[in-house]
Amino acid sequence: MDLVFFKIALALYLGASAGYLVFLLISSESRASVGFWCAVMGFVAHTLSIMHRAIFSGFFPLATSFDALSAFAWLLVGIFLLVRYHDPSPIFGSIVTPMASVLMIFGWTLVYQVTEPLIPVLRSTWLPVHVTLALAGNGVFAFMAIGGLMYLFQERLIKTKRLGRLHRLLPSLATLDTINRHGLPFGFFLLTLGIITGAFWASSVWGSYWTWDPKETWTLITWFVYAGMIHQRMVLGWRGKRAAVLAIIGFGLVMFSFVGVNALLGGHHAFQGANRFMPPSGL
Amino acid sequence: MEIMVIGLNHSTAPVEIRERITFPGDHDGAVARMIGDVEGVEEAIVLSTCNRAEIVVTTKDVEESRERLIRTIGEIHGQDPSVFRSYLYVRHGADAVRHVFRVAASLDSMVLGEPQILGQVKEGYRRATKARTTGPILNRLMHRAFFTAKRVRTETGVGSAAVSVAYVAVELARKILGELRDKSILLVGAGEMAELAARHLNNQVDRPIVVVNRTYENACILAEELQGLPIRMEQLEQRLVQTDVVITSTGSCDPIIGKAMMKRVMRARRHCPIFLIDIAIPRDVEPDANEIDGVYLYNIDDLQAVVAENIGERRKEALSGERIVSEETEKFMHWTKTLDAAPTIVALKEKLEHIRATELARLNGKFADLDPAQREALESVTRQIINKIAHDPIVFLKRTGAHGKQNLYLDAVQRIFRLNGAADNQNEGEEL
Repeated sequence: MDLVFFKIALALYLGASAGYLVFLLISSESRASVGFWCAVMGFVAHTLSIMHRAIFSGFFPLATSFDALSAFAWLLVGIFLLVRYHDPSPIFGSIVTPMASVLMIFGWTLVYQVTEPLIPVLRSTWLPVHVTLALAGNGVFAFMAIGGLMYLFQERLIKTKRLGRLHRLLPSLATLDTINRHGLPFGFFLLTLGIITGAFWASSVWGSYWTWDPKETWTLITWFVYAGMIHQRMVLGWRGKRAAVLAIIGFGLVMFSFVGVNALLGGHHAFQGANRFMPPSGL
Repeated sequence: MEIMVIGLNHSTAPVEIRERITFPGDHDGAVARMIGDVEGVEEAIVLSTCNRAEIVVTTKDVEESRERLIRTIGEIHGQDPSVFRSYLYVRHGADAVRHVFRVAASLDSMVLGEPQILGQVKEGYRRATKARTTGPILNRLMHRAFFTAKRVRTETGVGSAAVSVAYVAVELARKILGELRDKSILLVGAGEMAELAARHLNNQVDRPIVVVNRTYENACILAEELQGLPIRMEQLEQRLVQTDVVITSTGSCDPIIGKAMMKRVMRARRHCPIFLIDIAIPRDVEPDANEIDGVYLYNIDDLQAVVAENIGERRKEALSGERIVSEETEKFMHWTKTLDAAPTIVALKEKLEHIRATELARLNGKFADLDPAQREALESVTRQIINKIAHDPIVFLKRTGAHGKQNLYLDAVQRIFRLNGAADNQNEGEEL
C-alpha cells in the first residue's frame, strides 16, 4: 500500500523511457514530448510517493536504502527537468528516465523494506541536512557522468566522421564539457559539506568525528578523486575526453560508496534495518 | 468548382524559360488580381521563386480556364504561349491539392527540405489576400498547406541534415566548439571552395578572420576582401595556438601542418579543441594529425561524403513526408465534397429536425395527458415552425448556385449552424 505512488511513478518513468527510445529510433519530436510529459507526471507521482512515505514513517524519509535510492532517482529527474528548461534537447531525457527507472526497480526488488519507526539515533536534525547534501552531490556527479558518456560518444562519432542522426541529436562537445566544468566544483562543494555535516552528526551521536567505517573510507577516497580532478582541470588544463572519463570513474566510485559498500563490505554505516546490531547513521 | 495549378519549375523547365516566366510586379498582389479577373476564375494565388513560377486558382470549368490562363500568363510576360507551353504542368483536383502541399512542405524543392520555400508560399498568399483574390477554398487550402508543411517538418527529418560542404563545415564547427560568436578562424591559402567555407563561417563569428599565404601580398588582398587580418607564413604555428577553426587550401605539394607541429600546438593551447578543414589536394595537413586528442581534421572528401550521406537521408525522410501529404490531401478533398448545396441543405434540415425531436422528447412527461389529436397538432405545428425557419436560407442557397459566391455562403452556413463537423474544422485552423 505504501508503494502505490511509487509504482505509478515507476510506470510513468518507464513510459517516458519508451517514448524517448522511440524518439531515438525515428527522431520523432512528438514521441520525445510524450516522454517529457510522462516524466513530468512521473515526477509528480514520485513526489507524492516520497511525501507519502514521510507521513507513513513520521519522519524524514531517507533512513532506508530503498528510500535513499528513490530520492536519488527523484533528484535526477528533478535536475533533468530543470536542465531541460535551459536546453530543450531531448537527449538528456533519453538517458535520465531509464536511469531513474533502473534505480527504482533496483531499490524496489532488492532492498525494499517496510518503513518502521526510526530508532533514536536517527532522530537528529543532522540527518536531513547530511543526507540531502550527500544526495544532491551525488545527483550532480551523476549528471557529470551522463555528460561525460555523451561526450565520449560524440567525440568518437566526430573523430571517425560518422555524422549521422545520433551525432546531430547529441549536444556539442563544448556544451558537454561545460557540464563538467560547472558540475565539478559544485558537486565537490556539496560532497565536502556532506562529509563535514556527517562528521558533526557522528560526533553528536558517538562523540567521535571519524571512525574509519568502510563507507567513510570509500567516501574519502571519492573525495580525493574529485579533488584530484579539480586539480587536473584547473592546473593542467585537462578537459574534454580526459575530464569525461574521470567524471565516469568518479561517479562509479560514488555509486560504489552509495550502494555497493553496504552490500559488500557491511560496517556500521548502513541504513536502518540493514544491520540491527550496529547503530546506523544514515548514509 | 475545382482547384487548378498551372506552372513550371526546375524539373520541367530549363533556366532560360524559368527566367522569362517570373510574374514580376506582384508585390502588392497586382498579378494575382489579373489572374483572378480571368473569366471563369474565382480565386487566385501567384507563387514565384527562383526555381518555380505557378498560379493556383479555383474555376468552374478546368478546360476553358486553362487556355485563358495560359494566354494571360503569356500577356503578363509579353511572351507567346508557344514559347513556354510545353514546359508547363497543369494539375487539378486532388493532384493540384497534393502539389500545393508538396511545394509548401519543400518536398518538391530542388534542394529537398530547404526551409525558405514555406516563407515564399506564405508571401504569395499574403499578396493574394491583400488583393482580395482568395476565397473560402484557397484560404483553407493554404492554411492546410502551412499545417502540412509544419507536420512534415516536425514529424520527419527531411530538413535536418546539412546538404552543402560549406554548411556541413559550419554545423560541424558548432558541434565541436559550441557557440561560434567568440571563436577565431584562420584561412591558409586560397581557393574557391575554401573561400566559400570561410565566408560561411565568417558570418557566424565576430572576430576578424586571419588570412595567411605563401606570398604575403596575396594574403593582404584576400584579407581586405574578407575584412580580415593578414599574417606571414612564418607566424602560422604561433597563430594556430590562438585559432579555433582552420581552413587550409594551398597549392603546396607537401603538407604544411604536420602531426609533430600539431602536437606542439595542442600543448601550447592547453588541449583546447581545434577544427581543421583541409580542402587542398594534395593534402595540406598530415592525416595522422586527426589522432591527436582535441584535433578534429576533416578533408574535402570527408565533407563531401557527409553531404552525400545527408542527401540520401533527406530522400529517405521525404518518403514519410509524402505519406503525411497524402493523408492531408485526402482530408482536404473530403472537405471540398461537403462544399456542395445539396448535402449542406440536407444537413441543415437534419439539424433542425434533431433539435425539434429532442425538445419534444424532453417535455414528453408534461404532454402525457394529451389525446392523439392534440399530440398530432403539436407535432405538426413544431414541424411547420422549423420548415418556415429553414425555407429562406434553403431558397437562398439554391439560388446562389447560379452566381459565383456560393462557396462562401455554404461555408458560412456550415459554420453558423455547425454542420458536418464545421466546428472541428475551425479548431484545426487555429492550430496554425
